[in-house]
Amino acid sequence: MNLPILPTTIVGSYSMPGWLERLKTEYFARRIRRQDLEEAHDAVAKAAIKDQEIAGLDIVSDGECYRDNMVDYFVERLPGVEIDRSSKKYYYDFYATTVTSKIPVAPLGLVKDFKMLHQFSERGKKICITGPHCLVKRINNEFYPDEAAFAADLARAMNPELRALAAAGADVIQIDEPYFSGFPEDMPWAVNALNLLVEGVSAKIAVHICYGNRYAKPSWEGSYKSLFPAILQAKVHQLTLEFARRGGEDLQLFGKDAHPFELGVGVIDVKNSEIETPEQVAAHIRKALQVMPAERLYVLPDCGCFHLHRDVAFAKLQAMAEGARIVRQELGK
Amino acid sequence: MILKLNHVKSEAAGITQEVTQALYELLETGQVSQEEFARLHVHLDWVQYKQNFREPVMGALVGGEAPVVNLYVDTRQVPACHPSLKSNIVTALGRAHSTATLAAPEQDRFLLEDFKSFRQSIAWEFNSLYWRRLDEWERSSGHSYEKALPGGSSDGNHPEAIADSVADFWTLLQDLDKKKQLPAEVFLLEIGVGSGKRCGMFLDKFQALDQLRGTNYYSRLRVLMGDFSLATLDMSRPNVKQHLPLCSFIVLDALDPLKTLSFLRHKVLYIHTTNMYDNLPSEEILRRDGHFYLVQVRLGMPMAQALRIASAYGIPFDKMRATIERMLQGGADFLGDPARGISFWKEIWDAARLEERLVRFESLPDSPLPDGLDIVSLEELLKRSPDELRFHVSTGAFTSFRNTLPLLHPRGYLQVMDIFVTSLNAYAMGFYGPGKLDGSIVNWVNGALLKGVAERVGYDVHFAPYRYRSGSKTSILYTSPRE
Repeated sequence: MNLPILPTTIVGSYSMPGWLERLKTEYFARRIRRQDLEEAHDAVAKAAIKDQEIAGLDIVSDGECYRDNMVDYFVERLPGVEIDRSSKKYYYDFYATTVTSKIPVAPLGLVKDFKMLHQFSERGKKICITGPHCLVKRINNEFYPDEAAFAADLARAMNPELRALAAAGADVIQIDEPYFSGFPEDMPWAVNALNLLVEGVSAKIAVHICYGNRYAKPSWEGSYKSLFPAILQAKVHQLTLEFARRGGEDLQLFGKDAHPFELGVGVIDVKNSEIETPEQVAAHIRKALQVMPAERLYVLPDCGCFHLHRDVAFAKLQAMAEGARIVRQELGK
Repeated sequence: MILKLNHVKSEAAGITQEVTQALYELLETGQVSQEEFARLHVHLDWVQYKQNFREPVMGALVGGEAPVVNLYVDTRQVPACHPSLKSNIVTALGRAHSTATLAAPEQDRFLLEDFKSFRQSIAWEFNSLYWRRLDEWERSSGHSYEKALPGGSSDGNHPEAIADSVADFWTLLQDLDKKKQLPAEVFLLEIGVGSGKRCGMFLDKFQALDQLRGTNYYSRLRVLMGDFSLATLDMSRPNVKQHLPLCSFIVLDALDPLKTLSFLRHKVLYIHTTNMYDNLPSEEILRRDGHFYLVQVRLGMPMAQALRIASAYGIPFDKMRATIERMLQGGADFLGDPARGISFWKEIWDAARLEERLVRFESLPDSPLPDGLDIVSLEELLKRSPDELRFHVSTGAFTSFRNTLPLLHPRGYLQVMDIFVTSLNAYAMGFYGPGKLDGSIVNWVNGALLKGVAERVGYDVHFAPYRYRSGSKTSILYTSPRE
């Protein structure tokens, strides 16, 4: 992966078209076939990849349009998790799910998703996985003695899929753990599960921690202070964090000597439809450069662009790429 | 002919008989054609508000490939016009047909506007004038606006209701405190401050509870009192005088609080409003035979009334409309005699009536639905409702709601005390406005649709009955974040 300084990338999801939301609901109401929905997903994913490329991103994802939400896509693929299929009113709702037996290792189908991205883009490629801590918080546990044991076993069951993704050519595998900021008391065992998940995976590993993005609103407020010191034990390469919405608050916690990680700095507020200017993005990056050298910085939105209208998401990503270009020029790189 | 008997009171049987008899006689004498008779939808309707915009008998053309006429007979008002029932029906039918073409002469009506969606009607300018000149209206009528409310006072000011709100809020703060997530500044927002009495009582009780429990939250409070009227904000100050260091008074548009307070996005822990949504512009929609129709209205009055008022106030009739428009812009003291001005305003308002016509959505240039609602989601929300249903779209309330939610802290909540229709099916069983409440407009809020709109933006909405005054129609809406 040959990247410029201050590489730009997406956090995972791209804009979900309104018509696709309706189609998904139609599918749940048994009014359209699975095959029709998959064709629609395929077309939207290709458009999402193209949009990211045209916007100027260095590392792209498939846009995750086929994921109803960050949890259900995984629980549906985990044997041993029972799903109440009647519990969803809208496609975006979470299923009511329960684990009643030990989770066996089984293919999660993510390699197939990744191969499509690999086929349709020559840029750097990222795939995102919802982490064990987040999944444990959403799945009702009726088998494991505690959440820590459940998370560790989930990590063990999911690890082979990550290894397969790396083998398939994933440049960056991002683990999404938004609940870290909502449940700081879990950090020691949550980080342990994260490490089990990524053990032996030969790709760049990023962990994304934000304050939640359900319905484009935060689920928690607080401070990234609560990640410390446990986060320092994480065997990952990069922390991908939400800074733009909070005006860069907590950036000083992530100075170059405070941790060994690269910093994925959020410079686009995805909970607000106002489109940032390239100059505003550049200002965010300059602020981050005060605590971290450019060589260890990645430029991203605060979280996924799922809730933004497509034209807004595209314009924001364009502004982000342009803002990074401005700062690169200033750095003479 | 389809006859809908919405009124179930005992005297309705007699009126029903008289209306059907009158219609048969009109058919037999050729005043109503066989074809028209067959296509009539007759609604023996009722009105909830004593002061309203309805004539005893009204007709409304329902557009489409084969237009029909809805004939509304207000069974409470009809006894007053029994002898002229037949002629009233003929007039209403004729007027309904004339609305199909805008060029139709309206010799017997004095109109203040052309047909449009109710939310855009000039009626709302009267409503706005009332709130801008409330003190003058109150002086003239000799009672406060609260006296016009059912029960004679605002349900928002009930001490027990406020004590419960305080307890809920204090519990939230304590919970955040235990989790070390209590912000240094705790923002509260009151939208539509009224007299300020509720806010004053809330702060009194909160301070007392905080002292009693030794939690020291009171000093962290930042109370934002928001209202579109600076005069109202000023009037509210004395009622919060004990707490002024914590309070800020902010002029804001109730339809878009976020515009004024965007610096507080995701920061406000408690937002409260009482009897505001029912006074925001709204409109009505009819679903019939798989089609949606927008109820368009025009405000006017019988010509005889207009002539009488003009004469009584010495206004040349050709200046009548301009005089009303000037009053709506500048207030009612234009005649050099404020008391006489207010009296003129009240007479115009009393006489004001709304005529209707129903236009198919497909015939409209733009979608009449507010942001957050579209035809597909509307059909989804109406899935379990009767095929024929006329209901409110509380556009102003929806807009305000959607533009308020982004202010909420992740653990914050919105509390709205108002009159809500909580089930769409209730629209088949009752009439929910518009009515006149003194100089203002009142409409029940379509809580069932609001709930659907809220779910799409990540909030569950719950309605609790108001248990503090027996017979109260108020409900209390609470939001909770949708997982």
